[in-house]
Amino acid sequence: MDMPIYYTRAEYIETDTGNKVSRRATIAGPQNIILGGKTIISSGAIIRGDLRRTGPGHAVVISLGRYCLIGEGCVMRPPYKTYRGNFNYYPMKIGDHVHVGANTIVEAATIGNHVEIGKNCVIGKFTIIKDCAKIADNTVIPPNTVVPALALFAGSPGKHSVRAVNEDMKVTFAGQYVEDLPESTQEMAEAYTKQYYTRFQPLPNER
Amino acid sequence: MAPIRDKFTIHSKAVVCQDVELKGDITIGSGTIVHPKATIFAVAGPIVIGSGCIIEESTIIVNRRKEVMRIGDDNLFEIGCRVECPSIGNFNTISARARVHHTVRISSYCVIGAACLVVPTEDEILDEYTVIYGPAAERRIWSGRGKVQEADLRRKHADYLREMLPKFNRLRRGDGT
Repeated sequence: MDMPIYYTRAEYIETDTGNKVSRRATIAGPQNIILGGKTIISSGAIIRGDLRRTGPGHAVVISLGRYCLIGEGCVMRPPYKTYRGNFNYYPMKIGDHVHVGANTIVEAATIGNHVEIGKNCVIGKFTIIKDCAKIADNTVIPPNTVVPALALFAGSPGKHSVRAVNEDMKVTFAGQYVEDLPESTQEMAEAYTKQYYTRFQPLPNER
Repeated sequence: MAPIRDKFTIHSKAVVCQDVELKGDITIGSGTIVHPKATIFAVAGPIVIGSGCIIEESTIIVNRRKEVMRIGDDNLFEIGCRVECPSIGNFNTISARARVHHTVRISSYCVIGAACLVVPTEDEILDEYTVIYGPAAERRIWSGRGKVQEADLRRKHADYLREMLPKFNRLRRGDGT
């Protein structure tokens, strides 16, 4: 197994379904957030469950699946628009095995299963990301984009080869389609997210 | 340098969350909304924010100049943007993770796109309806189409937040109350 990622026990709260939530994360409106289990929310993350849809009854604002990771300093907030003259925030749904890199801003409507989002990305309002897609680091996905299944989205126009994208990670903008990912992405993502969760453990002297 | 004196004047109809970092002389106008985790630093001169602005989480507004930093009405500062301009007009949108340097003055109805860097070396004033977009911070002028709808959305957004934010967040009051 790879090296464990240690954290101090005092910093994380562990729920009985195995979610690990940092005390230094800002969780607004926790009653409107659903965590699937074995999900990690890192320090400095901001999750806005308070921006709920108006109307009677219980409203789920953000739902996260199993084995998700919300990186450090991430902001997850539901998207908003006016529909038939009424302003509203709309719920955000995130599937299983989704990793979101550090300092990424997510305002998507739906994110499928096995999705990997890089660091420093901006995912625009009402974006739909299908299963097994990947968003490279520093990508800006414009609002209302649909990212198809098994697609890699990254950088500025004219940088089609993966090599160019990888070398140019520093300034990539206006995310667009780069290439298809292999069919094994689902298994890879599943294995990786599960392994990440097992690697993420409290310091041995505190156990 | 003399230490920064904190003086917050927050209008009674403004919604400023508790979890906001304020420093220096700051005036926040009526109906302005400041989300949690926003940062407003009046390092050198004071900051005056007009009415109906929306300042989202992890936004940083800094005034490093001696003069007063004036922000007009109905501006939207999206998540993680950083603004140091000495003056901002009305109805501007600074998108997520954009950065605007202290050499720029923004007039009205401008849009700074997501993750754009606006850092000219010499002082400049952005014309009304300027849109800055893309990786190279290109510019063009907005025709003004959909302006009424945009204003309407902004107003409704602010109305919604004024109603909902106090239900889930603790609010901060000014010194006077």
